[in-house]
Formats: sequence, C-alpha cells, structure tokens
Amino acid sequence: MRILKCLLALAGSAACAALVAVSQEAQTGGQEGTQEQNYQKMTPAQRAEATRTFLGLGAVPDKAAAARGAPLFASKCADCHGKTARGAIAPSLITSDLVLGDDHGEHLAPFLKKGIPGKGMPAFARMSDRQLTDIAEFLHLQVEDVANRGAYHVLNIVVGDAVRGKKYVDSHCMSCHKPDALLHIASKFRSPEQLQRGWIWPSRDVHLIAEVKTSAGTISGRVIELSDFSVSLVDTAGEAHTIDRNFGAEIQIHDPLAAHQQIVMTLTNEDMHNVTAYLETLK
Amino acid sequence: MKLGFLLAITAAALLSGPLNAPVVSVDPNTIGQAPVTSWPTFNGDYSGERYSTITQITPENVNHLDANWVYRIAEVGAQRGAPVPIIKCTPLLVNGVLYMTIPDHLWALDARTGKELWHYDWVDHGGHLVGQRGVGIWKTTLFFLTPDNWLIALDANTGKELWKKNYADARKQYFSTSAPLIVKSHVIVGVGGDAMDMPGFLDSFDPVTGDLQWTWWSTPRRGDPALKTWPNERASDHGGGMTWMPGTYDPGLNLLYWPTGNTNPVFAGQGRPGANLWTESIVALDADTGKLKWYFQVSPHDTHDFDNTTAPILFDRTVDGKPEKLLAQAARNGFFVTLDRVTGKYVVVKPYVPLDYSSGLSPQGEPIPIPDKDPSVGGSINIVNASNWPAPAYSPKTGFAYVNSVEGKAIYYLTDDSDKPSGYGGTGVGIGRAVRVLQAIDPLTGNAAWKHAYPNLNNAPTTVGPSILTTAGNLLISGDDQKNLIIFSADKGQILWHHELTANESGGIITYLLDGKQYIVFGAGDSLYAWSLRE
Repeated sequence: MRILKCLLALAGSAACAALVAVSQEAQTGGQEGTQEQNYQKMTPAQRAEATRTFLGLGAVPDKAAAARGAPLFASKCADCHGKTARGAIAPSLITSDLVLGDDHGEHLAPFLKKGIPGKGMPAFARMSDRQLTDIAEFLHLQVEDVANRGAYHVLNIVVGDAVRGKKYVDSHCMSCHKPDALLHIASKFRSPEQLQRGWIWPSRDVHLIAEVKTSAGTISGRVIELSDFSVSLVDTAGEAHTIDRNFGAEIQIHDPLAAHQQIVMTLTNEDMHNVTAYLETLK
Repeated sequence: MKLGFLLAITAAALLSGPLNAPVVSVDPNTIGQAPVTSWPTFNGDYSGERYSTITQITPENVNHLDANWVYRIAEVGAQRGAPVPIIKCTPLLVNGVLYMTIPDHLWALDARTGKELWHYDWVDHGGHLVGQRGVGIWKTTLFFLTPDNWLIALDANTGKELWKKNYADARKQYFSTSAPLIVKSHVIVGVGGDAMDMPGFLDSFDPVTGDLQWTWWSTPRRGDPALKTWPNERASDHGGGMTWMPGTYDPGLNLLYWPTGNTNPVFAGQGRPGANLWTESIVALDADTGKLKWYFQVSPHDTHDFDNTTAPILFDRTVDGKPEKLLAQAARNGFFVTLDRVTGKYVVVKPYVPLDYSSGLSPQGEPIPIPDKDPSVGGSINIVNASNWPAPAYSPKTGFAYVNSVEGKAIYYLTDDSDKPSGYGGTGVGIGRAVRVLQAIDPLTGNAAWKHAYPNLNNAPTTVGPSILTTAGNLLISGDDQKNLIIFSADKGQILWHHELTANESGGIITYLLDGKQYIVFGAGDSLYAWSLRE
C-alpha cells in the first residue's frame, strides 16, 4: 500500500527531475563536480548556460546570426564539409583549429574570403562580411551543440513493444500495486524520459523507516539522517529524535522501495523499453 | 667595507622572508623513498600505495587526535563554475613547508603553524576549474599546472615565477587539473578535456629549461599497427584518452605506469568501431623516451565514460614462492585488475561491484563488453563509475588494496545517433540507490576481505571519494560523505575514531613526522587541517 501511494504521489507531481546534463559532474562518472544538485532545479536554458560557464566554453554563439548562416552554409559549404560541418569529402570543421580559435568571425571571415585555392578550398570573395560572419556563427553553433553537453536532449525514447510491456507489468508489478495504480500514468509526467525514470524509481516522498532499539526503549519513524554514528528520525507523532549509534543502538531499516531497487539492479533494456512503451499508452 | 656590505646583504636576505622560514630543496633521487619526514610527490612515493611506515598514531591512542591548526582559504571566493573553493590536491610537505593548491592558486604554508608563507595567483584565460591535484618539486623548483594548460616553474622558497610553458590549447577544450610527476630530470605532465574529441597525450619537460623531452600520444598515429583498433586515422586522431591523473613509476624498471581516460566521442561509439587503443588502458612507458613498453586495456571500446584514471598501484608480493612485481587498479569500470608490471600480463581481472555488462574476458584478460549495454536512444541500464580519482591505497602489512567504491546504476541515453557523432553524444542519469562501500581487496584473488557500506540516506556523490591513506600502525584514514573523517583498522575495517568536519574530506590525505611528531594533513572543502596527538 505504501508503495502504491508513493507511486501516485510521484506521478501527480511529475517533478522527479532527471539529470540530463551529465558530464564530468554527473552520477555516472567524470572528474566530478559540485553542481549536480543545482542542475536539477534549472530550466534547460539555465542548465546549458551553467554548463557553458563551468566548462569554460568561451564566446557564446550568436544564434540569430547562426540562423542566417545556416542556409548559406547549406548551399556553399555542406556538399564538401557535411550538413552539420562534421566532415564529408572535406574535413570536419567543428574540430578545426581555425574554427576553435575564432570567436565571432574575426579570423574566419578573412580566411573564407581568400580560401586555400591550391587545396580545393574556394575563396568566397564575393560574399559580404556579414554573410561570412553569419557562416562563422553557424559553425560556432555546431561546436556548441557538441561541446556543451548541458544543452543535450534525449531523442524519442519510446522504442519498445507496448504489448510485451503490458505482459511484464501484469506479471511483475501487480502483486504489490492495485490494478488501477497505473491509470493515466503517462499524462502525469512531462516526458517519456521522466515516465521511464519515474516508474523504475518512484522515490519522491518515499522515506526509509527505521526501528531503533536502545536501553531506553524502541523508537520508530521515518529517517531524516543516517550515518555510521547517528540516526535521526521523526516518529508518527511528528517528534524528531537523534540517536547516537555509539552506545549500541540496534537499528532495523525498512526500505519501501526495496522491490524497485531490485528492478534497478536486474531490469533488462528490452523490458525497460517495453514497459515504458506500454505505460506511455496510459494517458 | 666589503665585509660590511656582504653582511648587510645577508641580513637583508634573511629579513626578506618570514623569520625562520625553512629552506626547501628536494634531491630528485630521494623522491621514490618511503616518505617519513616529507611527502615530496603526489602519492608520497612513486608506488601509489599511500602507505606510511610511521607508527606513532595507533588504534590505542587515536582517541587523542586533535586539530593542530586549520588553514582556511579566505581570499579566493567563487571561481568560474565553482561557488566555493574546494581543496582537491594532495599537499606536498618538504622541509617543514606545505604546498597546497586549488585551480589557479598555490600556497606555501609553514607546516608548524599553518601560516601562509606565500601565495601564487594565476589569471587563467579559459579552461575548466573542476579541480587541482597538487604540485611537483625538483630541487628548489615547484611545478604547477593551470586550467588553461600552462606549466609554471616557481622558486619553491619564494613563489617567484621562473618560467612558464603552454602545452595544450584551452580553445580545443583541453584543460589541466593534474599534479606533475617528477622522475629524475623529467617533469611529466598529463592533460584533461573530453568535450571536443581531442587526443590525449603525456609530455615530459626538462625541469631547468622547460624544453620538451618527449610526447606520448594516447591514440596511435600514422603507421602504428594499433591503428587497426580504430576505423580510420581521423577517428584515432580525435579519440580522447586523457591523462589527467598522475601515474606511478618503478625506478628499477624505469617504467611509468599511466592510466588513460575515456574514449571520444564519449557515449556514442557507433563512429569508432574497434577496441580504440590506448584509451581506457594502463600503459607502461619508458621514463626517458616515452616509448610504449606494454599496455593493458581495461575497457575496450568504452561507451560509458569509464575514464580509466584511478591510480595503478605498484607492489611486490611472493606468489607461489616467487617474488613478483605487480600492479593493481580498482578500475572505474567496476573490475579489479592485477597485472605483472614487468610484462603487462594479467593475474586477476574480476568485478568488485555488481555488474552485468561484460560477457567474459578476452585471452588477454580484458573485459568483453555486451553491445546491448551500450547507451541507446531508448536508454540502457548500466553501472555508474565504481571508483574515481580519489586515491586508493595498498598496505604491505595487510596485503590488501583499499578503495572507496560505489554500487549503483544509471540509464545511459544516446543523444546523437548519427553516423558521425561528436563530443559526448549521450548522457547518463543515475537511477535507484547508489551506495558507497569501502573495500579491502586481496589483489591476488580480487576478492574483498572486508567491506564497509557507509550508511546514508542520500545517494553516493559522483566523486566516489574520499582518498585513503594507510599506516604501519594499522590505521586506514578516509571518510564518509557526511563530513566525517573516519579512521578504520586496516586489517578488519573496524571504526576506531571519527570526527565531524565542516565539509567532506576532499583531497589526498598525507602523514609525516615533523619535529618528531606524526601529523595527519588533509583538505576538506575550503580548509586544510593538520592533526596530531594531544601532548
């Protein structure tokens, strides 16, 4: 029952913000960082900006200029360098020294005017300075799309088989959850990615429950803090207790999400995709 | 007249520095010795064991530990992308002077008082200010790396800049956090930065002139047979393999052992089929030439940012009656690896956290990844990094390797499914509980002799720290991520003592004898702490 309540609470809030801006900072690895807590509270634009600052990515591309440069690049450059400038018969430009050394066309525009005729790179002598700068900004935006991982977004993650997903749910979930527990679940999340995260790990408003036996008696309640040295909990009357563990307190911890942790540790990708595809139909 | 003039100069020289400031100088030939009255290199000695022979502090008297002094960084404030300074260095201790760093800043402190002797402040032009691991010292010269990839040589006694050299372009997203490793007359410098698909490298510089002695590239260049592990030369030229943590060194074999970081593009492997040498490897390099002697690839064709930068620890053991020179690493991919460090042949390769992404080992002992576990558009569940840069340790007394590990999972999404992905090309999101577990692992079997799971309501943080130090007094000094410095017994993992600090222990822990007294020194947040036994 408790698990059911938690699942519904989570679905209702749709606030189980996923950390998309992974990185050196994220839960998966990297050199680490201090920002992940903050990332979760940010809008995508804020997250991209914070990551840009954190990584020291340099000048911000001019998006309006880049938009003007896009069709110019498509018609003049993409045949050789690829439509996102990642290389075709001519080299990738997003790792080019010249592009990475430029801020707003101050080096690229004069270069594009002259080209390298001997090496097959034409001169764009007739294009205006503004057009050449716009192309430079388009290139900087292509670099930004790669280098600023805070601006990444997932693709359409609904790739599973809903029929198989329903079978998994019927056989794995309904021994704990009531039949109507999943009604309209998909409409309660902002995105399929959040739905996927939310059904696997419905952690919002779920608390560990501890029962602590000391010489003074037994206290139980939801855990607020837990370390090798103390446990803090709030009992059902709302009273807070902190127990020093150095004096032989016996602690039993009950994890309402134990079954979900089991899922986390054993779920196959196929089952995950299928269940998400099924739940996504429950709008 | 002349004599008076000379005396005046001497007096002025004496007065120009702080009174009684010790004179710092390190004979490079002494760096590999067991550190007792100094801590002259990142790991104390070249082995990476982080083991001290000092026995003054014992399980019996550890309750008498007391803060001797605390140095708090007061004048720096927020740095770009870092709201507060966090000390992630391992300090050096030489002739009674401690050297401590954060990005762009280096301090010399009087180890007896914690008072500042001098402070060097670098104004960077780019680079990532995620951390700074410390300095190297050769005779009277300190070597300091900046976020924008300058190697700075400073007078260790005054902090005056002697020369500087730029060795990588911050505009290509190279940045530096490492501590230079000083070996004989080589200043060995690694680099970080995986945002833009650049190749990793290791440089060796002359400590006097700053001239480049050699460069080793983490990925093969034209004509190298290892290119067959890449689809083409271009992919190899942009294949990553950063060298952002200091390596270890065996003076007898004259070999450097360097851990290489993740492959690029990071999560999107579809544009680089193959094993992608020598990223995600432990490489053995000749210290004088940078030539590759052998390699062991811990994560062939990595697609999970397994970034193989945890220290390769060097230790000697008798195996089947024969003395063996070994190397062990608790790799970030979740495998514990023990190698013969003469040949690179594997002795043990075994998971030390629960994992299911590998179908077995190759004949060379390298874990074989299961392609279904690669990041995908719909998401793929796999482990989080099982360890990270904070220093592991090895005690010759217990024979155990020690690591703070994390057991947990993440969903990895491919965000760039094109045939020419670039940069990270994907992302990972932690899912479920992630538990930090301190482990004592027998490196000859890969099995844990004991484990300590730190109880915590919150998930393990990404840093997977803190660092570890063990001593001949049977102490294992580390901490949790709830601001407690904890001392365990090294043999059994029993908690002997703890103390709540104002922040989590965040850098390397060192110990030394100064004026006959054993100190334990470590950074936690913006403060450096020096502890010793109460008189």
